[in-house]
Amino acid sequence: MATTVSLEVRDANPTKALREFLARLLTEGLAGGVLAGKHLSANGGPQGAVMPTLVTDPALLETTDPLAPSFPLNAARLVSRLTRGEGEGSLAAVLRPCEVRAFTELVKLNQGAMDNVILIGFDCYGAYPNADYPRFIASRAPDEATLAFLAAASKGLTDGEGYTLARACKACEHPAAGGADLNIGLFGVDTGQRLLITANTPRGEGLLNRLALSDTDPAHAQARESALEELIAARSEYRDTMFAETATATESLGKLGAYLSNCISCYNCRAACPVCYCKECVFLTDVFDHKPWQYMGWARKNGQLRMPTDTLFFHLTRLSHMSLSCVGCGQCSNACPNGVPVMELFRLVGDRTQRAFGYEAGRNAEEAPPLTVFREKEFAEVTGGTD
Amino acid sequence: MERFEPTIVAFVCNWCTYTAADLAGTARMIQSPNVRLVRMMCTGMVDPKYVLKALLGGADAVLISGCHPGDCHYINGNYKARRRVKLLKEILTGFGVDERRVKLTWVGASEGNEFAETVNELVEDIRELGPGETSRMMVI
Amino acid sequence: MANRIGVYVCHCGSNIYPRVDSPKVAEFAQRLRGVVVGRDYKFMCSDPGQDMIINDIRQLGLNRVVVASCSPRLHEKTFQNAVLRAGLNPFLFQMTCIREHCSWVHPDPVEATAKAMRLVAAAVDRVNWHEELYSREENVHPDVLVVGAGIAGIQAALDISRSGHRVHLVERSPSIGGHMAQFDKTFPTLDCAACISTPKMVAVSQEPNINLMTWAEVKEVSGFVGNYKATVRLKPRYVDMDKCTGCGLCLEKCPTKVDSEFEEGLAQRRAIHRNSPQAVPNKPVIDASACRVLNGKKCGVCAKFCPSGAIDFEQREREVELDIGTIVLATGFDTLDPTPLGQYGFGRFPEVYTGLQFERLNNAVGPTGGKIVMKNGQKPESVAIIHCVGSRDVNHHEYCSRVCCMYALKYDHLIKDKVGHATRVYNFYIDLRCFGKGYEEFLRRVQEEGVTFIRGRPAEVTDQALTPEEEGKLIVIGEDTLLARTIRVPVDMVVLCTAMEPRADVAEVARVFGISQGLDGFFLEEHPKLGPVSTATDGIFLAGTCQGPKDIPDAVAHAAGAAAQALALAARGKVTISPTVSHIDPDVCIGCKTCIGLCAYSAIEFDARRGVSVVNEAMCKGCGSCAGACPSGAAQIRHFTEKEIFAELDGLLAPVRIPVTEPEPGTAGAANGAEETETAEAQA
Repeated sequence: MATTVSLEVRDANPTKALREFLARLLTEGLAGGVLAGKHLSANGGPQGAVMPTLVTDPALLETTDPLAPSFPLNAARLVSRLTRGEGEGSLAAVLRPCEVRAFTELVKLNQGAMDNVILIGFDCYGAYPNADYPRFIASRAPDEATLAFLAAASKGLTDGEGYTLARACKACEHPAAGGADLNIGLFGVDTGQRLLITANTPRGEGLLNRLALSDTDPAHAQARESALEELIAARSEYRDTMFAETATATESLGKLGAYLSNCISCYNCRAACPVCYCKECVFLTDVFDHKPWQYMGWARKNGQLRMPTDTLFFHLTRLSHMSLSCVGCGQCSNACPNGVPVMELFRLVGDRTQRAFGYEAGRNAEEAPPLTVFREKEFAEVTGGTD
Repeated sequence: MERFEPTIVAFVCNWCTYTAADLAGTARMIQSPNVRLVRMMCTGMVDPKYVLKALLGGADAVLISGCHPGDCHYINGNYKARRRVKLLKEILTGFGVDERRVKLTWVGASEGNEFAETVNELVEDIRELGPGETSRMMVI
Repeated sequence: MANRIGVYVCHCGSNIYPRVDSPKVAEFAQRLRGVVVGRDYKFMCSDPGQDMIINDIRQLGLNRVVVASCSPRLHEKTFQNAVLRAGLNPFLFQMTCIREHCSWVHPDPVEATAKAMRLVAAAVDRVNWHEELYSREENVHPDVLVVGAGIAGIQAALDISRSGHRVHLVERSPSIGGHMAQFDKTFPTLDCAACISTPKMVAVSQEPNINLMTWAEVKEVSGFVGNYKATVRLKPRYVDMDKCTGCGLCLEKCPTKVDSEFEEGLAQRRAIHRNSPQAVPNKPVIDASACRVLNGKKCGVCAKFCPSGAIDFEQREREVELDIGTIVLATGFDTLDPTPLGQYGFGRFPEVYTGLQFERLNNAVGPTGGKIVMKNGQKPESVAIIHCVGSRDVNHHEYCSRVCCMYALKYDHLIKDKVGHATRVYNFYIDLRCFGKGYEEFLRRVQEEGVTFIRGRPAEVTDQALTPEEEGKLIVIGEDTLLARTIRVPVDMVVLCTAMEPRADVAEVARVFGISQGLDGFFLEEHPKLGPVSTATDGIFLAGTCQGPKDIPDAVAHAAGAAAQALALAARGKVTISPTVSHIDPDVCIGCKTCIGLCAYSAIEFDARRGVSVVNEAMCKGCGSCAGACPSGAAQIRHFTEKEIFAELDGLLAPVRIPVTEPEPGTAGAANGAEETETAEAQA
């Protein structure tokens, strides 16, 4: 049974309590650095996104605000950078559940290591798309905005004038970070009084022991469980509706073409995707560096050729490469300059492919990605029953 | 009405199915001319991109065929191919591509008759299904 | 600069043309991008055909060549060599098959010609992207490893050693000879197995070029053709081979008795044991699982009586590393355990024997001193021999074990000979397969000796008597399929001709050596007809029954073939490594290691410093499982690159203008002035 402790919140400010918790990790030498979202323009400048920042000086944690509903990028790629190869001291990374799951996928692909990192996840109410977040925070002070968001979100009220929670978040059925060493519990918790911290791993247990935090009242943990279940149910329902709509919108290759018709092949989706881990996308290599006469040949085939070419090919290939690892963070849609609903497509297909292989992206670091292994007897249906 | 003549691309492994195709030829086993072979060294070499490229390039179906399980010239390339085809089928059927348009079979080097049958059956199946969407679509 | 491509379309006499209108295909090719010349010719593979290509390369400055003719499996090398003779890299060539895949299988000339055009267009598109590739030469280590010292391994080792090359001969059991050492007589000549095999075994022990390692197993093999490294595990014998004289005193004194494997459980041996006094080496081994001392009990009798002080309970397992160039696998076969075929009562009825047990009954040094007697010491009055036990049986092995008919006939003869002419012998067979030299004659001889043949696989062997004559007998129940009636045959003794099957650990051995198994489980040869001793792994050859059931003459011939193949490499001292292997672009590779996990040949290593995966080209077989998996396309197989395959697909799928009128046979199709139309898919 996982240990759950209670972290006292003073001044009804859970963000502050979280900051103090992170500061303790640094001052007590439990972590050499903390990676967490931080307001970088808090001192009167325009309110920008909350960017992941690697902090080693506890005094500089002041504007750290991982709970802010800003999600400019999936930080799994950053944790990968910070854990690939020789490190220095251990790192504590405060991540959304989808970031933890994406990082887990990257570790399986040798793109990072769990050895020297403390993964701290939190109950995630979701975040606003990059374009919406500035409208949400407006001119409010960071903490004020975040606290208001937590209060509203706990009642299911996330959308307002000019800002709507990202669809990926609304459809996310993994709002808690089960795979992280520690998960900060917010759901169903009176965050003005306390935060719950659950250890999911032996490393997490060890940390909680070192920090000597008191076990929580089982009723608080129970209340969180119920709230979590409720939230998952609501999000699953949203997801299923989204799947149904997307499936209809892409039920033929022709419709899929129309669905992707605004794609300009900028490949931002793949750059933003945390599990598209290639150094260089094959679509940017010379394999796709076509000659002028090739274009003419293709155009002659049907009398016309959409330029840029290879759009369907690109998305279908990307689906074959990473739908099995898709954690549904929605950064692809967040990054698309033309509003192509990329996330909806990848989540739909990812759901199907992951189910087909009995695999769930980010569930468990021990689970091998389906295309990296094989068995002698399996999937007999693929070859019409003969294996 | 004119009979629909499907275009089918087959990725076949050098050691088993390509050899079986040679054997079928030597034995003069009549086959539909709709299937065009691409010789690969092993089905394990067939990148899903090749299948997608063929389908998007206007093929009405793709056949991938290699050695029987346990018989692979390269020990286990065919098992890897099976997983990739499984994945492709999952992806493509969602977009209305009939499952029969991506076919994986095992045809051993000595099975010339199997090869001819596979070809003829596939052509009939696809003829029944009608043209694939991409053959009528602008390549995008 | 644009490529200058020459396209050559073969008629293959009348095999391709006129079904495929070769002249028209050549004319079509001439209109393809980059094609400088398109020609057709009666026999492209003939000298004038090859000269045509060579002259064009020289005179027209071709830098790419496409030949459309028979299967590349037949003549790809021929044309590559022609291209090479003209000074062009042989990989700047592509061959496409318009005979086996076209003219021979598509009756409609229009359709066949149209398909040929598409295949040529694909080859032309593809050849544009071909790159110059160069084979590499590697030295071949002159030593050869032979694994298994049954008759096949012995033959291979002797053949190789006589050439002056050194052989490491590794045998798992304490002595060599394999199954043949268990036999008594051999069919069809009935010479005694020991008489013909012992001289060979002794020759092995005396041959200075053979390093014999018994009681040893190959644990791991690394490297590649010409440069293998094998780790051999030497199991502790607990007998000092240098001191032991093989006097055999210990064998009499040892107090611990267990069932003898060599005697197929029909007799017992001591904890310290050897198969026979003729064993090579004739020095015993202590069975660690039975020996009292090695299990912490008091004994040491062998050590006490050994006159030369050879017993050494302190021996430990050792490992040796061998550098070798080539490997001959002669790991042999197991016989099927008939216990699961409960209907034949093996294990339940004492008088039901396996074939190998019956061999031991016949053997002069066997448990009965060579007398065919029942467990009660009496001679059997009647014997049933059941053929095809586990062979030709979909529930066990579909294949024919190839030796059972003949050794059953041998038993027939031996029973008549040893037990007496009055002994009744019944053969239950499906078909009699007596295909070898002198085999049919032997069958004739045995038939004349008065043996009964009943066609039909018996259903059951039972001891439930229905009549007084059946009392105390084993009754074989079956159907005589020639008379179409069920029969019950009471006998004293039943011999089961059990199937030959792959060794129990065949999969593990296949893994260690990096070779494949066939559907039947035996090691897979490179080609069932034309490559029966080589494997898909260069430098590893198969000898004897590890490749499939064989009798002794076939196993010996197979082994001699394997020895010759291994020697061919060893004697040349050089091996050409194909360049069509994987290459991982270090600038593109992200080091996810997926390819490493999927490589069946451990040919990819991780370079931790650069954080990328690197192909060992000498070990890579070019199967492409890395390329098929690599999402970034960093891993690609040379000569099968993505560019090349994509181009081939473009060519295959491009609309082709084809003639609608049928060409008249014997005339160049183009002369018909056929109107042209777009194909169906181009119009759609």
